[in-house]
Amino acid sequence: MSAKRNKTTSALSAVPEVLAVIDIGSNAIRMVIAQALPDGKLEILERLWRAVRLGQDTFRTGRLRAETMRSAISILRDYRSLLNTYGAGRIRAVATTALREAENGDVFVDRIGMATGLDVSIINAAEEGRLTVSAVRQAVGDNLLSQGDALVVEVGGGSTATNLLHDGQIAASQSMPIGSIRMQETLSTGAGTPAQAVRLIRKQVAGAISTFKGILPLGKAQTFVAVGGDARWAATQVGRLIGSTGLFTVSKEALDGLISACQGSTADKLARTYNLSFTDAETIVPALLVHQALLKATGAREMIVTAVSMRDGILQDMITGSAGRHTDSYKGVIQSAQAVGGKYCTDMAHAEHTRMLAARLFDELAGEHRLGERHRLLLEVAAILHEVGVFVSSRAHHKHSYYLISNSEILGLTQDELVMVAHIARYHRRSRPKPAHVEYMSMARERRMIVSKLAAILRIADALDVSRTQQIREISCRIGADGLTISVQGNPDLIMEQRALAEKGDMLADIYGLDVHVEATG
Amino acid sequence: MAKKDAELSNLLFNRELSWLEFNDRVLQQGSREQLPLMERLKFLSIVSSNLDEFFMIRVAGLQRQKSAGARKRDAGGLTAAQQLALIGGKTRDMVRRQTAAVADVFEQLTGHDFHLVRRADWLPKQREFLARFATTDVLPILTPLVVEELNPRPMLPGLQLLVAFLVEPAEPGQSAPRLVVVPVPGMLPRFVNIPTDKGTHIAPVEDVLLDNAGSLAGGLKIGASAVFRITRDGDVTIQDAKDEDLLDVIEDAVVSRRRRDAVRLEISARPDPAVAKWLTTSLKLEPEQVYEIDGLLDARALMQITDMQPVQSLKAPDWPAQSPRDLAGEEDLWSAVRDHDVLLFHPYESFDPVIRMVAEAAEDPSVLAIKQTLYRPSAESPIVHSLARAAQNGKEVTVLVELRARFDESKNVLWARRLEDAGCHVIYGIAGFKTHAKVLLVIRREAGRIRRYVHLSTGNYNEKTARQYSDLALMTCDEELALDVAAFFNLLTGLSEVIEWRQLVIAPTDLRRRFLDLIEREIWASTPDRPGLIMAKLNALEDKGICKALYKASQAGVKILLNVRGICCLRPGVKGVSETICVRSIVDRFLEHSRIYYFANGGHEEVYLASADWMKRNLDHRLELLFPIRDVGLRQRLIRILHACLEDNVNAWELLSDGRYKTVPRKGRAVRSQERFYEDASAATSLADQAKRRFRPLGHSRADGDLSRA
Repeated sequence: MSAKRNKTTSALSAVPEVLAVIDIGSNAIRMVIAQALPDGKLEILERLWRAVRLGQDTFRTGRLRAETMRSAISILRDYRSLLNTYGAGRIRAVATTALREAENGDVFVDRIGMATGLDVSIINAAEEGRLTVSAVRQAVGDNLLSQGDALVVEVGGGSTATNLLHDGQIAASQSMPIGSIRMQETLSTGAGTPAQAVRLIRKQVAGAISTFKGILPLGKAQTFVAVGGDARWAATQVGRLIGSTGLFTVSKEALDGLISACQGSTADKLARTYNLSFTDAETIVPALLVHQALLKATGAREMIVTAVSMRDGILQDMITGSAGRHTDSYKGVIQSAQAVGGKYCTDMAHAEHTRMLAARLFDELAGEHRLGERHRLLLEVAAILHEVGVFVSSRAHHKHSYYLISNSEILGLTQDELVMVAHIARYHRRSRPKPAHVEYMSMARERRMIVSKLAAILRIADALDVSRTQQIREISCRIGADGLTISVQGNPDLIMEQRALAEKGDMLADIYGLDVHVEATG
Repeated sequence: MAKKDAELSNLLFNRELSWLEFNDRVLQQGSREQLPLMERLKFLSIVSSNLDEFFMIRVAGLQRQKSAGARKRDAGGLTAAQQLALIGGKTRDMVRRQTAAVADVFEQLTGHDFHLVRRADWLPKQREFLARFATTDVLPILTPLVVEELNPRPMLPGLQLLVAFLVEPAEPGQSAPRLVVVPVPGMLPRFVNIPTDKGTHIAPVEDVLLDNAGSLAGGLKIGASAVFRITRDGDVTIQDAKDEDLLDVIEDAVVSRRRRDAVRLEISARPDPAVAKWLTTSLKLEPEQVYEIDGLLDARALMQITDMQPVQSLKAPDWPAQSPRDLAGEEDLWSAVRDHDVLLFHPYESFDPVIRMVAEAAEDPSVLAIKQTLYRPSAESPIVHSLARAAQNGKEVTVLVELRARFDESKNVLWARRLEDAGCHVIYGIAGFKTHAKVLLVIRREAGRIRRYVHLSTGNYNEKTARQYSDLALMTCDEELALDVAAFFNLLTGLSEVIEWRQLVIAPTDLRRRFLDLIEREIWASTPDRPGLIMAKLNALEDKGICKALYKASQAGVKILLNVRGICCLRPGVKGVSETICVRSIVDRFLEHSRIYYFANGGHEEVYLASADWMKRNLDHRLELLFPIRDVGLRQRLIRILHACLEDNVNAWELLSDGRYKTVPRKGRAVRSQERFYEDASAATSLADQAKRRFRPLGHSRADGDLSRA
């Protein structure tokens, strides 16, 4: 019996760890399949892409057309079947601007789920930036990125993601509304000669850059890193390979030269001259013009081009586990949440203390809720931000917290996670979730469950600091026949806390089936 | 620009004439007295099958151009009519020499008591036996056609032997003689064995038929007769259709091939004028399309003689395929390929590992998927069988079947359907591009990881031709190559668009550009003290752009050593143009089929293998693969193979600047590259055997409990 079990476990541990990232972008759906090797390295097994112009729909009409959605779903079905061949275990599917900005983006995500079983999360610009920077850091190494300020740029179909790094950490992320497809769209409506088009794009880009100058001090950046197919193409044409790093540099002059060689040509001609796909040929000049303008705005002499993308960043995330507690990204999320809290002048001492207690309770109740590290992070963020709504008004502040959080940008959280955090904060007091709560009900069942479990904990943590004096520091928990007993070290007066718990323990009783008591050990 | 083209046109040989030169080399090989007689017959038979294909495709094409009045000229400025005239002259000469060579072989064979006896020389006893044979075995399966009385005129089949004879009216002068045509059934052996006390006597079946034509004509008197054979336009132009229809389109096209225009009539020498006239008019042929043959028609059948028992001693010594040196002592194919890249050199080294790889993959529970391209597999291909098995075993099997392999279309349709029935995902290539790449990918789940095995080859997945064609292949687990190969299949199946390739170079998108870049780089790296070096071994060099680039490289001092088996349009040795280019060609017992490309690259040598030749159709109209050999040891081995081919002075010809080929003069010791490769392969095998014997651990057999074999 035991021998048999051993065999099974060893066979199980020998199952390859196959990961996949699907990226639903503005002009293509891409997939990377990789495996995590026993030595911790990643081997890329497949890279695929297929053109589908979701961005064109979104940027033109604000909606995805049924036909475009159909072709996207058929691509995803194909990808899904290839994943089955490999027995891919973990799949992360993300979508960016084209879905984020489409009115019917959520409907589409739902349809994808039904047709393919893929759970697509729409990620926000900040998350995109974080993932890209993480991939770039992996490829370029910390050295290059820590030399003063560095700018990491990716020109997408709908927008250009710019991330300004200071000492290797993201200091600012901005998404400029200048994307190669969006510009291509503007042009095709205005028509005109290629030369006129170039002038028009230049103007748009210059406008965008000056708008963001205040928030994004480009001039300080000495290093310019470009990500994306257009930059890579430029590198293969006029770039120089840096040693065996797989990185290219393209000097300002070389880029200028390439652009003047291309800008007079129609997409047709470019496709033929350079052996490009027509889709690429259409967007290459607008994209390079954005790079050129941004490069000029920095103090960098050349553009460093890497072959990595946001997808590599996601793979990184996937193998480092769902962002372990002490990883940079965990810290980054917390810092970002703290910054948002600061912005809304929340009582930071109470916020941090609640966070500490909530995390503690989360760990103590691990056997009950069976949630993971990522959920702990969501709880911590919600604890930090649960009272930001007071900034608006202390009356019904939990509701204000909800919408302030859901409209904030927290680096490192996906859009879906942000919504969950907002809900956890919303339910830190007063009403428990009800079918009448439309926003709550619009989340998937699984997410509603997680929100409830976490909000129940947040309520207890909040109640334990009802005095706002942070007097309860060390706690230990015991789960017995009479429910959850929280023991507090020392001999403090716990009357306020007991009263608060009597009121706020309702949700814990509801969700976990545990009545809650607090007692002093002293 | 026009002037440049005109200049270039003087520098390029006509491809049809260059091809005829190749066939002439095959003929000369068949005429060499030093060669074993059966080896000669084999070459002489190949001369005919080559010519058949040449007439069906190339000559038919020119014929069509000519009748359409097209003004198109070849690279050398010749019109279709001019080319046809040159081809006609050269072919007539070739056929005459071939007939003489065949006669010479039969003459020699009498010395070995092996006799081909023609109708006029039959002894009464022999005639009697053959008449009986005709009654029992031949006449019952014949379908005589009284052609003049049939309306519409029956369609006479192409490439089949036919006999025609005139039947005299029952009473002289009553009416004109009637013309009867009888197709010689393909199911009959071409040569009939005549029983004899001593030696071997054989008679051509058409002679048997003609001698007994009277019985067919109900005892009426037979007048003049002739043996003839028609070659028809065989170029099936398949309009691109969606996958599913392609199967049907090809089935239809194969049927319609039989109805195509005649392009050549071969007829036995000195035919009756009435018979000849009837044939040429009904086939709408010009006199220059008629070839009289003073000997056996359809020399392809000579191959049947080489299989006969009495002449086995007159064959070339057997060169059995050896176990590949890179797999010596390896029990497990997978672990061997994991351990090191494997180079396979067929037919010196066995094709079995390739068959084994697919067969084992089909049964191996840890194999998840198999993907393969198939172009011309054999009729009873074990690989096709294994792929079907794999699908039945629940593996993902993707097969790219190229239906458009010329003359094999109908066969291809058959087994493509068989694969589909077994549950394979069968795709029929990309519209407009024939898939010529030969690649196999096996995805396997091993302890803790996915491992991918790649086989890339210059030759088809056909174990029959792998015994006759010299080809090279690589088996590897290289992750970058595997990634590229997977992407190549994704491209073929429409799962993905083109990615940025790491190792593979693909035609028609990148290969031409890459070759030009590689040649260009060699020019840059070339200095007077250290000239660049390009070596290549290929089947054909016809592409204008590549020729131009090579001329340019030559003018920059790059040394260019080419081993081009067949067509070569490049003119070597022209002062100031191609002085540094040397072109040689090997015609030996195995068909030289591998493609190796070498670039010195300033000391950082690069060696590639490819499915593509330097032909326009390979670079622009087909899906082809070029892949680098990254293992240093294998690279050196390929360089040695190239050198051996370039040094061959036994079966090698050198192309002169006037387009003729002369045999490579022998200076010093004789180098016959194919023999050397065979000897190397068997030496490697016996070394491996010795090593196994010598290094077998003493306790080994005892530990196995097998003392009986110790």
